[in-house]
Amino acid sequence: MTRYTLYIAVALWLAILAGLKLLVRPPMPASVLMIYMTLSTLGILVFVAANEERFGNFIAPLRAVFEGRAPRLVQVLVLAGIPLLLAWGAWLRTAPSSDAPFEPRVVHPEPPASFALHGRRIETAGLKNPLRVPDAAQLEKNTAEGKVIYYRNCFFCHGDTLRGDGHFSGAFSPIPANFRDVGTISMLQESFVFWRVSTGGLGLPRSATPWNSAMPVWQTMLTEEEIWKAILYIYAGSGSTPRTWEEEPKK
Amino acid sequence: MKAMTSLFQRRGRRDAEIAEKCTVQSKIVESVFSASSAPLRQKRFLVVLVSMMIGGAFAADAPKVQTEPVKGTPVAADFEAGKKLYRRWCSQCHGDAGKGDGPAAEFVYPRPRNFTTAIFKVRTTLSGQLPTDHDLFDVISKGLPGTAMPAWEKYLPENDRWQLVHYVKTFDELGLFKEEPAKEQVVVDAPPKITPELIAKGKDLYQKKKCWQCHGQQGRGDGPSAAGMKDEWGFPIRPVNFTKSWRFRGGDRLEDIYRTFTTGFNGTPMPSFVDAIPAAEDRWALAAFVKSLARLQKSGQVLKAGFIGGEIPTDPYAKAWEEAEPFDFPLAGQIIQEPRWFKPMHDVITVRALYNDREIAILLEWDDGTNNKGEGGKPPDQVGLQLPAGAAQDGGKPYFLLGDARHAVDLWRWNPAQGLSRATANGAAKEKPAEAGGVLAQGSYKDGQYRVILRRPLGKVSPGDTAIVPGEFMPIAFQLWDGDNGEEGMKMSLSTWYYLLPQPATPLTAYLWPSGLGFLALGGEVWLLRRMRRKDK
Repeated sequence: MTRYTLYIAVALWLAILAGLKLLVRPPMPASVLMIYMTLSTLGILVFVAANEERFGNFIAPLRAVFEGRAPRLVQVLVLAGIPLLLAWGAWLRTAPSSDAPFEPRVVHPEPPASFALHGRRIETAGLKNPLRVPDAAQLEKNTAEGKVIYYRNCFFCHGDTLRGDGHFSGAFSPIPANFRDVGTISMLQESFVFWRVSTGGLGLPRSATPWNSAMPVWQTMLTEEEIWKAILYIYAGSGSTPRTWEEEPKK
Repeated sequence: MKAMTSLFQRRGRRDAEIAEKCTVQSKIVESVFSASSAPLRQKRFLVVLVSMMIGGAFAADAPKVQTEPVKGTPVAADFEAGKKLYRRWCSQCHGDAGKGDGPAAEFVYPRPRNFTTAIFKVRTTLSGQLPTDHDLFDVISKGLPGTAMPAWEKYLPENDRWQLVHYVKTFDELGLFKEEPAKEQVVVDAPPKITPELIAKGKDLYQKKKCWQCHGQQGRGDGPSAAGMKDEWGFPIRPVNFTKSWRFRGGDRLEDIYRTFTTGFNGTPMPSFVDAIPAAEDRWALAAFVKSLARLQKSGQVLKAGFIGGEIPTDPYAKAWEEAEPFDFPLAGQIIQEPRWFKPMHDVITVRALYNDREIAILLEWDDGTNNKGEGGKPPDQVGLQLPAGAAQDGGKPYFLLGDARHAVDLWRWNPAQGLSRATANGAAKEKPAEAGGVLAQGSYKDGQYRVILRRPLGKVSPGDTAIVPGEFMPIAFQLWDGDNGEEGMKMSLSTWYYLLPQPATPLTAYLWPSGLGFLALGGEVWLLRRMRRKDK
């Protein structure tokens, strides 16, 4: 085992790179990948160098090449390979890039303390869905009406099963929210969702790149009640429950 | 009134009509089809009658196509479960009573299927026959590409999809699924290997069998009979564009295309070709040709403009343009601001860009089966290109839909009626016409495809211009209108922001660094080598 230390280290490094490149979706920006790979490289090197014997095993194959004990072909391959690999690495950095500039974007920005809705101010603190009533039959009726609103306004992007994969979703960037993802509505309060729906993409703060969002400013097309009903449906339809104000930690 | 002949015979005659003659007669059948608002049974009868009058020469013999008994249905019906599932996932488009009139029906194109008439397009059964349970199951599972019908296999377990098959059949008003269920289905053999000879043979058949009359010479759905077609319910329908294989309702595998030729699409002007092309190998050849027309999409975030010495050609078919790298940008309906547009015809625009030391030119290319110049009460077809007007001081961009109050956009538009027009906008309702300045346009329409070149000097000519600098990214967005579909103003297809990048020539330093580092490493190696080998001795 010990004579393979170098190869195991290299294989591990390549496996980390492949994992980050191929398994992480959506793909991470090159700069983030760079940070992860630097950390991985350092981690592997620190681990190897921490033990003298391990370090000896680690550099043994390289030693064999430089001292001329390795087979001739291996010597040529390694000695030619190292400069070429470095040159190639440098070329990747200096070659003119045509990757789109990285545009950082905050996905769930801090909601404002208040916002304008149909000409009046709405306070977000403590705001609850007035249609989420205790009466089960009434709640069901409200949700059913929300479903109709959803299918006449939202499903084109957010999809039949609320996964953000409706038939227009492929043309928009950022992609429409997937309501079944635990990172979207189920970790948010209905007040947040109400703010996002009412003010749409244009209501986002600058950090969330409002100029790219295809989310309409729904208060121009729906009444306050219709928005609350649609919100009832996106929670019920996706099997999510909203976070409530009661759950908030007391400060 | 009981229908005179079986569904199968009725349909057989009609297909013989369309496939064999593909000309005036079939048009008559079609117009009777679409104009009549008579109840369904009467309508069917009328079609038979007209078909018989015109196509009396055609015997109602069963087409000679190999069939096999229909496979059994693996899951027994549980109508209560089916109803529950249907109400949960299907009724919003197809309606509680299966009439294709749910609350979302008017907001999608094509219209959701009305199940009461039991007419289904994608089947393995002969023309005019009902689909098998497996056919319905496959459509539910795979969805209908190019429509709002998703592939439910992603979302629902197999058992649920079978229950939906059983439940959908209960909407059949004429009781046809009970009266004449499909007993035989078409045998689809293993597809042959696609060879150039097979494609050439298919191309020949495409001409001989007049597929181009609807689908166009280049297969872009622009044939002389393409305009104004209606389906059995009187809704507009267009011949498919064979280059857009991602929109083939029945799928785009060779065997899918073959199956469509063999069975036809019930309820649409697409006939079965078993009479017109009796030999299975000929239908395979035609399928191979149709498949060869498909164009893969190449999407990306950046439209790269290549540098060329000398003039940028004004002819969009010039060699320099053919060699320029194309990029496809997906489009969606403008469903953000009123008036919203839920039923766009265009789903992609293909763009190339070239620049020289003076100017930049962008070639916009899109397929449109109808060439609307603003006549006949319909708006003209149009294309729009959007750039930010002036550099944003605060690092942001204008809103991608026609800009916003603080950031204006520069719009270049071309249509076959008025040619080039230019405007600046600070939002949808805040658009002002602008002088063309240095912008020039050439447009043409050929074989179902528009090619429009928009060009401009690199530097600033008029106040609205933003200088385009080689090596620097410029936000760019695209908009398309199909006049035949009544698209104008805010009723359009649009893209979000992408980038235009005039690719600079690679500077010398880009080569210097890698070679320098390589030699340095080599030197280090030599030094280490000598030292270590000397130490050995």
